[in-house]
Amino acid sequence: MNDATKSRLRHSFRAPVVRAATGIIAFVVLFAALAPSVSGWQYDQIDWDRIAEPPDASHYFGTDAAGRDLFTRVAMGARTSLAVALLASAVSFVIGLPWGAIAGYIGGRIDQAMMRIVDVLYALPFVFLVILLVVVFGRNMYLLFIALGAISWLDLARIVRGQTLGIRNETFVLAARCLGASTPYIVKRHLVPNVMGPALVYTTLTVPGVMLAESFLSFLGLGVQEPETSWGVLIADGARDMESSPWLLAFPAAFLAATLWSMNLLGDRLRDVFDPRHGVGDRPRPGSL
Amino acid sequence: MLAHVLTRLPILLGTFAVIVTAAFFLMRLAPGGPFDDERRLPPEIEANLRAAYHLDEPLPAQYLRYVGMVLRGDLGPSFKQKDFDVNELIAAGLPVSLTIGGIALAFALILGVTLGTAAALHRDAAGDFTIMGFTALGLALPSFVIGPLLGLGFGVMLGWLPAGGWGSARHCLLPALALGLPFLAAIARLARGSVIEALAAPHVRTARSKGLSRHRILLRHVLPGALTPVVSFLGPAAAAMLAGSVVIEQVFALPGLGRYFVQGALNRDYTLVMGAVIVYATMILAFNLIVDLAYARLDPRLRVRS
Amino acid sequence: MSARIATLVLFAIAFVTAQARVLNLGSDGEPETLDPHRYNLRLEETLLNDLFVGLTTFDVQGRVSPGCAESWRTSEDGLTWTFELRDGLRWSDGTPLTAHDFVYSLRRLLDPATAASLAYFLYPIANAEAVNTGKLPTTALGVEAIDDTTLVIRLAAPFPFLPERLMYPTGFPVPRHVIERVGDAFIKPQHWVSNGAFVLTEWQPQAHVRMAPNPNFFAARDVSVDGVVYYAGGDANTAYNRYRAGELDTIGGFPGNELAWVRAHLGKDLRMSPLLSIMYLVFNVTQPPFDDARVREALALVIDRALITDRVMGTGEVPSPSFVPAMVEDYTPVPYPHISLPRAARLERARALLADAGFGAGKPLDVTLRYISGADTKKVYVAIAAMWKEIGVQARLHQAELKVHFADLRQGNFEVAQAGWFGESHPEHYLGLLESGTGNVNYGRFVDAEFDRLMAHAKTLPDRSARLAALREAEARAATLFPVVPLYSVMIRSLVNPHITGWVENPRNVHPARFLGWQ
Repeated sequence: MNDATKSRLRHSFRAPVVRAATGIIAFVVLFAALAPSVSGWQYDQIDWDRIAEPPDASHYFGTDAAGRDLFTRVAMGARTSLAVALLASAVSFVIGLPWGAIAGYIGGRIDQAMMRIVDVLYALPFVFLVILLVVVFGRNMYLLFIALGAISWLDLARIVRGQTLGIRNETFVLAARCLGASTPYIVKRHLVPNVMGPALVYTTLTVPGVMLAESFLSFLGLGVQEPETSWGVLIADGARDMESSPWLLAFPAAFLAATLWSMNLLGDRLRDVFDPRHGVGDRPRPGSL
Repeated sequence: MLAHVLTRLPILLGTFAVIVTAAFFLMRLAPGGPFDDERRLPPEIEANLRAAYHLDEPLPAQYLRYVGMVLRGDLGPSFKQKDFDVNELIAAGLPVSLTIGGIALAFALILGVTLGTAAALHRDAAGDFTIMGFTALGLALPSFVIGPLLGLGFGVMLGWLPAGGWGSARHCLLPALALGLPFLAAIARLARGSVIEALAAPHVRTARSKGLSRHRILLRHVLPGALTPVVSFLGPAAAAMLAGSVVIEQVFALPGLGRYFVQGALNRDYTLVMGAVIVYATMILAFNLIVDLAYARLDPRLRVRS
Repeated sequence: MSARIATLVLFAIAFVTAQARVLNLGSDGEPETLDPHRYNLRLEETLLNDLFVGLTTFDVQGRVSPGCAESWRTSEDGLTWTFELRDGLRWSDGTPLTAHDFVYSLRRLLDPATAASLAYFLYPIANAEAVNTGKLPTTALGVEAIDDTTLVIRLAAPFPFLPERLMYPTGFPVPRHVIERVGDAFIKPQHWVSNGAFVLTEWQPQAHVRMAPNPNFFAARDVSVDGVVYYAGGDANTAYNRYRAGELDTIGGFPGNELAWVRAHLGKDLRMSPLLSIMYLVFNVTQPPFDDARVREALALVIDRALITDRVMGTGEVPSPSFVPAMVEDYTPVPYPHISLPRAARLERARALLADAGFGAGKPLDVTLRYISGADTKKVYVAIAAMWKEIGVQARLHQAELKVHFADLRQGNFEVAQAGWFGESHPEHYLGLLESGTGNVNYGRFVDAEFDRLMAHAKTLPDRSARLAALREAEARAATLFPVVPLYSVMIRSLVNPHITGWVENPRNVHPARFLGWQ
C-alpha cells in the first residue's frame, strides 16, 4: 500500500456514513462473539414453557418454534453466516479475478476456452454439483463454504473479463507491452488493480446470495445441522411463520440487511480507494455533470 | 456480425455437448435414484421399473441412447410425471417462465440502470443513500421473504391481485416484481459504480469541456462504456430469470420451468433435469454470445480490434 | 339506466352461481400420473377416487362400501371371493363395463411390463407375485370372470382385509377398449374414458387438473357439482393465502403456527380430524448399541410424547403409546410397557437401563438422530434431542431431504431415524413392517423369531376377529422389544368453505367430490 492509498483510506473513513457502516459491522461481530454468554440461555436449550413467544425481559428476541432463545441463536447464526460470507467471497475472488483478467487480456482461443468452461459450469445443475462435492469430500462445513465460493466465482470472472477487454488496449497497457513487460507482470501490475473496483463491488453483491444459498444447502441436509444455525436458516424458517411469529423473521432479517448494507457501502468505498485513477482531490464532484 | 456468430457456432455446439455430457454423468454419480420413496418398493418391482426406463443398462449405453434421442429432438419420458414426456413439460412450462422472466428482466434493467445512474450523479447526497439503502434491502431480503409479503399484502389483505396461480395478465405482476427486485438491486449497484468511474474518465471530461449538454454526455459518452459490467452481469442473470425461479414458482404456485431444476434434481428425475439443463444451457450460451456482441457495440475501444 | 344495471346485476349473479358450482379444490401437490395402476402418491388417490371406482369404494365416512360390486361373498377357507357387479355398469363413453374388464385390469396391474410400483398391494391374489416377477404369464393370475357380472378372485392365503385393499386405485378398472387403441396415451384428456363420477377434461402440468361430471357414472344422479378443478403448485403458505383470497374452496392443510389465527378468524372453515397413521422413530438394530433392547427402551421412555404433541406442535396431533394406531377398526392396540408411567419413574428406569447397558457419565451414549427437512418436523426432533440430553445422551441431529432420507433408511445407513406409515385400517398393515421377511422397508432390520412365528400364524386365519386376536399377540411380543418408538398420529387440518356440503371428517381423510355440494 503506497502513501497515496493510505491517505485516500484515511480520507474516506472520515465520512459519517462510512463510520456508521464500520460501526454496524463492529457491532455485529461483537454481538456474535458476546451475545451467547450474556443471554443466559444456551443456543440449544429449550424453554418448555415459552415456545414460539414474542420478545420479553427473559428472551430479548423471543423464542423460536422449538422454544429456544432467538437472541442467542441470531448470534450463533452470525458466526456461521459471517464465516460463510468471508470464506466463500475470498475463494470466489481468488479464482474469479485472475481467471477473468487472464482470459480478457490474452484473448483469442485461450479466452474462448476459458469462458466456455465458465459457461459449462453455469449450466450444470448446482444441486448435483454440491451433493457430489459433499459425497466426495464428506460432510464438512468449511468444505461447504469453499463449494459455495467455487460456484460463485463464475459471475465475477465474466465481469472482470469484460472490464479487462476494455482496458487491454489502453495506452498504459500498450506502453508496458512495448517496454517488453511480461504478460504475468502486465496482468498483475496493470490489469488487476484496474479491474479491482468492479470486482470488489461485485463481490459484495454476491455475499447475500452466498448466505441464502447456504440456507438452501442446509435444507438439503448438506449445510449446517441443528442445533447449529445460520442467518439463512433462521430467515428461511422465519419466513414460513412470518404471520404468526413475525419476530422470527424480523430479527435475523434486520441483522442480515444491516450487515449487507454496511458491507456494500464499505465495498464501494474500498473501490474508490484502490482505484489508481483517482487522486485524493480528484474525485468528481456530486452532480458535476 | 452474422459472420462472427457463424464462426462461434462450432465452439458453442462443442460447449453444449460438454454441458450435456457432464450433466448426464454428474447426475448419475449422485446417490439416490428416482425410485427411492417413502412407500415400500419390493426389489422385483423396482427391477420392473428400472427395466422400463432402461436404467438396468450400463451407463455408457444409457448415455448413447440419450444422445440419440436428443438428436432426434426427443427428450424422453419423465421419470416422475409419468403421463407427460419432457418435451410436453417444457412446452407447458417455458412460456410461463419466459413471460414472468421477461417482465422481470425489463423492469430490473430499466429501473436498475436509471436508479444506479441517478445515485451516481447525486453521489454522497441524500438521493444516493436512499437508493443504495433500498438496493441493500432488495439484496438482503430473499425472494422467499419478498414473495410471500407481496402475496399477503396485495393478494390476501388488499385483494388487488391474485395471491397465486396462472391464467391472466394480473397473475404475472407480483411474481415478476418479486423475481426482478434482487436483480434490479444488483444492476443498480453495478451501474452506480461504473457510472462514477466513467464520469472521471478523460473522454467524458473532454466532452464536458466541449460544453456538450448533460443529457448528451450521459447518453453518448458515459452510459455506453459504463454499462459493460451490467451487461456482463446480465448474460447469466437474464438466463436465470427467463429459465424460471423455483422459489418464485413455489411461492406463487406458477407452472413454470424453474421447479424442474430443483424438484427434478431432488426427485432424481434424470430426463426432466436433463431437459431443463438443455433449455438453460441454450439460454446461457445465447445470452453470453449476445453479451459478447454487445461489448463491441458499447465499448468503442473494442471495435478497433475486430 | 336502472334497467341496464338490473340486467348487469342479474348477469353477475348468474355468472357467480354458475361458476360456484365448479369447485376449486387445493391439491397437496402435482400428481405424477393419473394411471391408476402406476400411481404412487396419496394426493393421486384423491384425484383417482373422483375419476374411477373399484369393486369396493368409500362411503362419505371413509368406510368400505360397495362400488362396482353390489355384493361379495367368501368361501369357508377364505381363499375364494366372489364379487357380483351392479347391472348396467358403463364406461364414460357408454361402452358396457363387465367383469372381463376387471380381469384385464388386474392382469395389467401385475404385468411386469406395466412396472406398477404399488403392484404388491394385490399380492394376496393367487400367483400375483409370480406373475409380477415374470415367472408366470399374466393369464395365470387368480382372477376369473364367470359371466359379465360375476368376478371370482382366488387368494394364495386367507386375507380377510381384501375388500379394503380393493378400494385403492391399484384395484380400479382401466378401459381396455381405449388402451388397445391408443396405448399409454389413454390417460390424455382427449382419449379419456373412466367409470367414476368425473372424467378428466384438462391437465396443465403444475397448474391444475380439470374434471367434468360423468353422465354414465352409476350414481350420476347423486353428483351435484358441475365439475371440479384441483389446483396444484405452491407450498402450504401459498395454498393458505390463495384460500384466504377466495381463490380456492378447500385446502388440505395450512402452516401449523397459523392455527390460533384460523381458530379466531376462520372458525367455521376449520375442519380438524385425526388421520389413521403412525409417526415413529426406528432403531437400526444391526448397529450397536441399538441391538440392545435396554438402550432402545431407555431412549423410548425418555421421550415425552404428550409434551411434543401438545406443547411443541400444538396442532392437535394424538400421542400414541402403541405402534398400531388407536383408530384401527375393531382392534385395541397394545401399548408399549412402562411408556405410560409418570415422568420421574420413566427417567429413573431409563437411567438404570442405560447404566445396565454400560453407559453413564464416563461413557455417554452418542446417538445420531435423522429426520426429514421441513419446518414442522424440525422442532419435534430438536425437542427429542433435548429430552435425551436429560439422561446424558448426546444426540446429533442430521436432517436430509426426503429422497436421501429414505434411500439411507432402506440401505440401513442410520442409527435412529424418523419414519411414518399410514393407510389401511387393520393392524397387519403396520405390524408387517417389523417382520424379518419384509425386506428393506423394515428399515431397522428388526428380527425376532417369536414375532415372525406369531405373524405367520395369524396370516393363516381366514376369520377376521380370530386373525385380529392373533395379530394382537404378535404386537404384544414386539412391544416388549422396543424395535421402534411410536410417537403420534397425524392431525389433518383442512379449511373448507362453509358453503360446501357433504364434507365429512373421517380417519382416512377421503372426501370424494361426488359427495360434495354447494349451498
